[in-house]
Amino acid sequence: MLNKTAFSSIGKRQPRSEDYRLLTGRGRYIDDIDISGALHACFVRSPYAHARILSIDGADAEDLPGVVGVFTGNDLSQWTTKLRMAPPIEGVKPLEMTTLPIDKVLFHGDLVACIVAEDRYLAEDAMELVDIDYEPLPPITDMFKALEDDSFLIDETLGTNLISQQSFATPDVHRIMSNGDKVIESTFSEHRQTHLPIETRGIIAQWDAGCEHLTVHVGNQATHPYRSALAARLRISESQLTVISPDVGGGFGQKIALYREELTVAALARYLNQPVRWREDRMENLMAASHAREDWVRTRTVVEADGRLKAMSLEIVEDFGGYCFYPANYLARVIAMILSGPYKLQHYAYDVKVVLTNKCGNGPMRAPMAITSWIMDGTIDNIARELGMDPVEVRRINMIREDEFPYQMATGETLEDINPFETMEKGLALIGYEKLRKQQKADQEQGIYRGIGICNVVESTTYGSKFYKSAGIPGSGHEAAWVRVEPSGAIIASVGISATGQGYETAFAQTVAEGLGVNAEDVSVQLGNTDVAPYGMGSRGARGGTAGGGTAYLAGQDAQKKVLAIAAKMLGLNTDEQLSMKGGKVWRRLDEDWSDTKLTLADVARIAYLDPTNLPQGMEPGIQIHKTYDPPSMTYSNSTHFCQVVVDVKTGAVCIERYLIVENCGTVINPLIVEGQQHGATIMGLSGTLFEQVIYDENGQNLTGSLADYLIPTATEVPDLEIVHMNTANKRTPAGIKGMAEGGVMGAIGALSNSVSDALLPFGIVIDKHPISPNVLRTLLREKE
Amino acid sequence: MSGGNLIVMEKRPITLHINGCDIDVLIEPRKLLSDVIREDARLTGTHVGCEHGVCGACTILIDGRPQRSCLTFAIQAQGKTLSTIEGVVGEDGGYTALQQAMHEEHGLQCGFCTPGIIVTFEAYLKNNPDPTEDEIRDVLSGNLCRCTGYQNIIRAIKKAAAMIRVDVGGA
Ligand code: FES
Ligand code: FES
Repeated sequence: MLNKTAFSSIGKRQPRSEDYRLLTGRGRYIDDIDISGALHACFVRSPYAHARILSIDGADAEDLPGVVGVFTGNDLSQWTTKLRMAPPIEGVKPLEMTTLPIDKVLFHGDLVACIVAEDRYLAEDAMELVDIDYEPLPPITDMFKALEDDSFLIDETLGTNLISQQSFATPDVHRIMSNGDKVIESTFSEHRQTHLPIETRGIIAQWDAGCEHLTVHVGNQATHPYRSALAARLRISESQLTVISPDVGGGFGQKIALYREELTVAALARYLNQPVRWREDRMENLMAASHAREDWVRTRTVVEADGRLKAMSLEIVEDFGGYCFYPANYLARVIAMILSGPYKLQHYAYDVKVVLTNKCGNGPMRAPMAITSWIMDGTIDNIARELGMDPVEVRRINMIREDEFPYQMATGETLEDINPFETMEKGLALIGYEKLRKQQKADQEQGIYRGIGICNVVESTTYGSKFYKSAGIPGSGHEAAWVRVEPSGAIIASVGISATGQGYETAFAQTVAEGLGVNAEDVSVQLGNTDVAPYGMGSRGARGGTAGGGTAYLAGQDAQKKVLAIAAKMLGLNTDEQLSMKGGKVWRRLDEDWSDTKLTLADVARIAYLDPTNLPQGMEPGIQIHKTYDPPSMTYSNSTHFCQVVVDVKTGAVCIERYLIVENCGTVINPLIVEGQQHGATIMGLSGTLFEQVIYDENGQNLTGSLADYLIPTATEVPDLEIVHMNTANKRTPAGIKGMAEGGVMGAIGALSNSVSDALLPFGIVIDKHPISPNVLRTLLREKE
Repeated sequence: MSGGNLIVMEKRPITLHINGCDIDVLIEPRKLLSDVIREDARLTGTHVGCEHGVCGACTILIDGRPQRSCLTFAIQAQGKTLSTIEGVVGEDGGYTALQQAMHEEHGLQCGFCTPGIIVTFEAYLKNNPDPTEDEIRDVLSGNLCRCTGYQNIIRAIKKAAAMIRVDVGGA
């Protein structure tokens, strides 16, 4: 029987169709693609954090047999345009960047020259023969020093290292803050991290001189915006460029921007009229691809005696590194806009500063706004400590309740269709909060320091065009999809989003199938090729589900409409109102019952393509649907993370005993995939908080250029995660999808930090920076002993 | 000032025994086994994630033991029996128990670390059909995965071990 209301493909725990090729060694990542006659590029990089380039002599390198050439910034400037990052955003200063630096390098690992040779080993040999004269300049490695008046400047034309500043205040906030109530201050800071996809960056560029067409294989999350950028920088038309992103070994935000290495390789392929390829090595990836985070945050809060928030101000200072591949306000401002999350706060002010330093440029890393929930729930914990209240009580009294949604935040953003109070209460019951508190007390007397950390997350998932506009970020939030039913009934679909491991081929097949009324196994999803996919905005944030899956669902629905109109004619009916597709067949309702008409999608497709005179009057032949969709300003998912730790005060080791997540991420397209994303995100958050750190010394030397120095956890260091779902649909989006995949990072950072602070409460230690390594904890404890 | 101290190496013919086939290649002695497997033997399922022996993506079996192919020169592998992910095939040409379990339990996302993990555990489970979770975690700690958080990989390995035990027991 056919049930018209329940989903049949959406929500299915379906193993992925991508897996077969990946499990059998037949995946095709960039470096697996064989292009005959391809030359190999490698890059000479700066040993200094800050220096003038006085001269570059590549003659000896060029003499080496097999070396095609050594190319510098001056060479590249003939074939490419500069990047001018000058978004029309109040408070953001315009910046220009050449394809390769010409007279100045801005961080350890910055680009100096490109060598092209017949193989990669040779190109690396030649690197040692390039003779470069530098004049070292004072390195700026501390963002606060960079802001001092007499600081050396990263970019002299700006006259300052403050690349971006934005502030906001509601009318009464300053008056309330200064009317004599005690101001509770909290600080938070994240250290510098990097994305570390296990597949590094890479590119292959091929110029077809006859057709004047460039084909580029590159691992990229947003192939169409990438194509627009690359075409513009090469001064060719978008129609002369095909960008193909094949299987990609992880992105996490690192594979969005057009990087200078990639642009260089593309320009050289055209100039040399020979394919050129580049495979980044791990050291380059750690030192020079893209970094993330590194910020300092302070909240100042005044509260009622019962813990209710009266007003709050927020300051953020972010170290953006030396280059802007994104508008400098791109990351930090979102934090400020959504800070209050699940809590009621109407009097609010923020000030967000972004600073240039001699480090690798920053970019969005899985949850660019990751610190948000830690700031908010960490502040709440501080309020609780200040007032001697239970941290849960302070959360309860401030939380937005069911009947208060939609809730408009002080910044004007509207929250709806979330249930933070419910997820928190459910989690508290599951962990047995009251009992656990008693246990904690008893254990403390035995010298066991257990901590309970709670973090309520409101995750901004799908950014619609309206949000970008109000956040002062250039760009669009829309997405595009097409669905084609071929003459045989074969179904092909595409979306303008490319995958880096999220299982989009499977998930989008499920949403297309739902919309069209077929089985997901029968939908082939083709992604990651700009000649095949429609122009979409790519994979970023957590927009894959709502923007990607949602648009594909709508396109599937439109395809079904056409199929049913044709079917009605074939069945001799005046209307298709009583028809519906399911399992690839046309069903008809007679009274309350649905019966199989025996017409299949293939029967209908045959008429559509091969017998169009039998189509309904005026209908165009074929079944090809193209759809675009702009999601609401913002969709939100929510969750509560609980982290229970024991801190060994003698060694400083943190042991995670239990980790529980209660989550509402809307309609789930595929629970298997969603769980995988929750695992990955949460572990990335825990890892960033405990282990990972990009370290620059005072001379700006990067000390973390190998996986022995930049640490991510192995299977022995991660806890098992318990996940409980309390999903509710979003009322505005197709199929009620909300999106997820970054909230785990947000929750993990907050819950883990708060749990360690909770464990160390008897010592008066509050965690306000990361990583929480044994060393750091021992130092803090020693100070208190 | 000159390239005199750089010796451009002569290429040499060698034969590698990979997945049951003899493969003749002409390579420089300094070429890494991982690069020769990928570029000369065109078996690109073995991945390279760090080239310094930490990530485990390049793991293959050398004489039955999991080894990092980025830490060996190809020339040292002559006369040894090598097997890579392309040699991991189930009885009917389909999935092995481990591949099947990885698929069902969603033990892979981007899939870049996956061949190294499969190769490692195909060998491990043969000799250790009933590992504890701690043992699995310990062995898996040689392979870095940035996507999954490991939980589903561990679940898949446990499931595969159980499937293999049933198979062996039933045979
Ligand atoms: S590539 Fe060999 S261990 Fe990473
Ligand atoms: S699945 Fe992506 S690194 Fe493991």
